[in-house]
Amino acid sequence: MGLIRLIIFGFIAMTIAYFVISIYSRSVRREKLENRWAEKHPDGGDARQREIFIQRGMAAYHSSLRPKLILLVYVAPVVLIATIHIVTTYY
Amino acid sequence: MRRIKQIFITLVLILFGALLHYVLPQHDIVKITSTEIIRTDFSSLNRIFYAQADSGSAASETRDLRLINTQKKKTWLLGFYPRDKMGVMVYRNEDTGWIWPPYFKFDSADLQAEAAANIAPGQERWVVVTHYGWRNKYLSIYPNAIGIRPVEGPDVTVIPWFNIVFFAFLLFCFGFLRAVWRQFRQRTVDPALESAEDTWDAVGDGMTQRRNRFSRWLDTWRSK
Repeated sequence: MGLIRLIIFGFIAMTIAYFVISIYSRSVRREKLENRWAEKHPDGGDARQREIFIQRGMAAYHSSLRPKLILLVYVAPVVLIATIHIVTTYY
Repeated sequence: MRRIKQIFITLVLILFGALLHYVLPQHDIVKITSTEIIRTDFSSLNRIFYAQADSGSAASETRDLRLINTQKKKTWLLGFYPRDKMGVMVYRNEDTGWIWPPYFKFDSADLQAEAAANIAPGQERWVVVTHYGWRNKYLSIYPNAIGIRPVEGPDVTVIPWFNIVFFAFLLFCFGFLRAVWRQFRQRTVDPALESAEDTWDAVGDGMTQRRNRFSRWLDTWRSK
């Protein structure tokens, strides 16, 4: 029973962490793109062009490895729990 | 108001520190003198300081509790400052199971056997007991032994690797959450507030215009 409870609550906690981290990561990337545009176009540039530039950058981000690495949030605690369990039980 | 806030924050910090002091592993250098089992009836006062029945067993009101009696080298400053003085310490030995505290310990029977194997009357056989929890005489609570490791002598230095990594991770989490909060405020809350302010200003402007119109209309009634 304890294990089932751990899995359910662990899954909920990890999902919250996953969403927080991915939203944060996306926001940071968007900010970076905006800053890069502002650097190249000190006068602000064309608003439509800017939108396209940012959309393209975000698309590149979504197909890169980085957002997939956030899935490690689900893997790391499982590995940690297994390690603690093995160390306390077998050593 | 500021005072109350300060007191509140201090209280939260003290409670959090106490929680960490209770849950994080600590190491004692001891000589095991005996092991025993006592029947225990928990009260509502001390129930939360005990784990549940052995993993896989039924939970009942009263149960046997494994204890490890030791002679312990006393320390100051959470074990960082060793002393020559000896005292006694009693550890309980319970499964923590899958939930809390997260030690995932299922081997209390084996640990009890290990403790018994290290009883050596008249000899200098020292072990390091890894444990969490508090000993309190008034509540009859004991720290829970997690592991036993034989060591050369009473003067070994134990480096708390787990706690070092844990506090580093805690610091990292704190920094990360602060960064997340700042990003959220800068990118989501502030623009929303600004646009709300703009709307408010627009409403305000509309009001003044309307009032102006109204007062102008009133003015038309004034006797010239």
